[in-house]
Amino acid sequence: MSKEEVRLFIGPQHPGVTGNMSVEVLLKGDTITWAKTHIGYLHRGFEKLMERRIYIKSFPLVCRICVPEPDTNEENFARGLEELAGIEIPERAKWIRTLVLELSRLQMFIMWYGGIAGSMGLSTPVQWGIGDRDYILDLFEELTGGRIYHIYIMPGGVRKDLPEGFEERVLKLMDIIEQRLPEYDEIIMENAVVQKRLKGLAKIPRDWVDEMGITGPVARACGFPYDVRKDHPYEAYPYLDFDVITEDGCDAWAMLLVRRREIDLSINLIRQIIEKMPKGEFLARLPNVLYWKIPPGETYVKSEATRGEFGYYMVSDGSDKPRRVHVNGPSFVHGITLLERLLVGQNIADVAPIMVSLQTCPPEMER
Amino acid sequence: MEILDKLKEKFEILQSQEKREDLALVGTTEKDLIPLLVYLKEYEGYKTLVMISCVDWIEEGKFELVYNLWNPSKKHNILVKTKIPREAPKFQTIYKIWPQAEAYEREIHEMFGVDFEGNPTQHEELILEDWDDIPPMRRDFDTLKYSMEKFGEREPKSGIIIRKQISEQYDEWRRK
Repeated sequence: MSKEEVRLFIGPQHPGVTGNMSVEVLLKGDTITWAKTHIGYLHRGFEKLMERRIYIKSFPLVCRICVPEPDTNEENFARGLEELAGIEIPERAKWIRTLVLELSRLQMFIMWYGGIAGSMGLSTPVQWGIGDRDYILDLFEELTGGRIYHIYIMPGGVRKDLPEGFEERVLKLMDIIEQRLPEYDEIIMENAVVQKRLKGLAKIPRDWVDEMGITGPVARACGFPYDVRKDHPYEAYPYLDFDVITEDGCDAWAMLLVRRREIDLSINLIRQIIEKMPKGEFLARLPNVLYWKIPPGETYVKSEATRGEFGYYMVSDGSDKPRRVHVNGPSFVHGITLLERLLVGQNIADVAPIMVSLQTCPPEMER
Repeated sequence: MEILDKLKEKFEILQSQEKREDLALVGTTEKDLIPLLVYLKEYEGYKTLVMISCVDWIEEGKFELVYNLWNPSKKHNILVKTKIPREAPKFQTIYKIWPQAEAYEREIHEMFGVDFEGNPTQHEELILEDWDDIPPMRRDFDTLKYSMEKFGEREPKSGIIIRKQISEQYDEWRRK
């Protein structure tokens, strides 16, 4: 650090930072010359807690690993457990899980769409985003009893069947959201300030993607068609008809375009799921879950969260508690390795849009 | 599986298994692990390091390091594992092969106490602050004992007492 430089902490209490994390930067004038991510404000030791609990008691824990999008965690943990125990789940359970996952992706993308505008000082879409997301949370409340944490996906299927008339209400809400989206586009996409600030911001060199393990919308904005739903299809995704969305800009504007098109894709997928959903059982027969011994083995399961590839590495030693559960969220790479390199040379005012573009989520970095 | 046969010819493989169509598992010796990772990266297209994990096998006195690689063109994951001694555990860093390994190794150093020789930032705190006990993710770390020693026994919260009083009063009222 020379005498020309200033050391500055951005976060953990800062409106532009995504959650409880901070970035320490060195500034030369307005330009960042060095950056370092600091996490640890939110460490609750979930991986350790899971080692002390029987499997079924870990379900209220895993959903808390990522607050805005808990269903990916539940689904991953349940699928890993089913694979270790060798359980086949009914067909309808797979479709209901996919419906819940897509609804959860949709609410996260809508909130993010408002959030990216908020990071640049446009505060109207933030309120809209949170408001429209709330309609989806209402559906979740009806389905699962919880608005944020659902604890709905269980090993062997899902906890309850869909309520009567639920499909119609979902379809009706999709129509409402689809009508609302042009208003968002008008205020965000066609805004000259947003275009000017995001185009060319956070330009990621293409060779970083494979080398660093960048996934999700960030990789797709660089033209890499990486989507776990297509590459390693899980649940009901193999039966759905969709294309992987890619853009060619490598910058924050391309990430915005990818996520905007993901909203349309999610709405499309939800309509397909409801159209094709079969009838039947929703929960497989399980042994007594309180005395459930899982055969020794290990597995790695993954799924596509809104931020990228979300994976669970699970090891069982034959007892009723897991030997090790390693939760690997995409933010670990995006928020530490990529963010530290990406911030160098940027303007101090662009820290918030870059962090929101990468969609870093601190709870999944520290577990 | 093709890739497992190739690896068996070139390296000392202790354990190999095909878990799923898109997931294989390979166990190797401490000495062969890094050459194997480099071979997979340079010649077999496993370009991406997804994660590094560590498992504590306390009964055997071993730590198991797990490297998860992904092949973007074949859409295939491979878990490469090795066991290192639990006493004074150390291993070589791979952060020059994959930059994100630096952060993963830093986490394992903090949580399990494995020393990655050559990693420049592993001694910096990642998650824990002023930690003064054995690394917390080890199996022999007792969370309850630690919190009792560090923070002492907690007094019951006043809210609980008030709730109890209310329920007692309610019971009395019902008996009338």
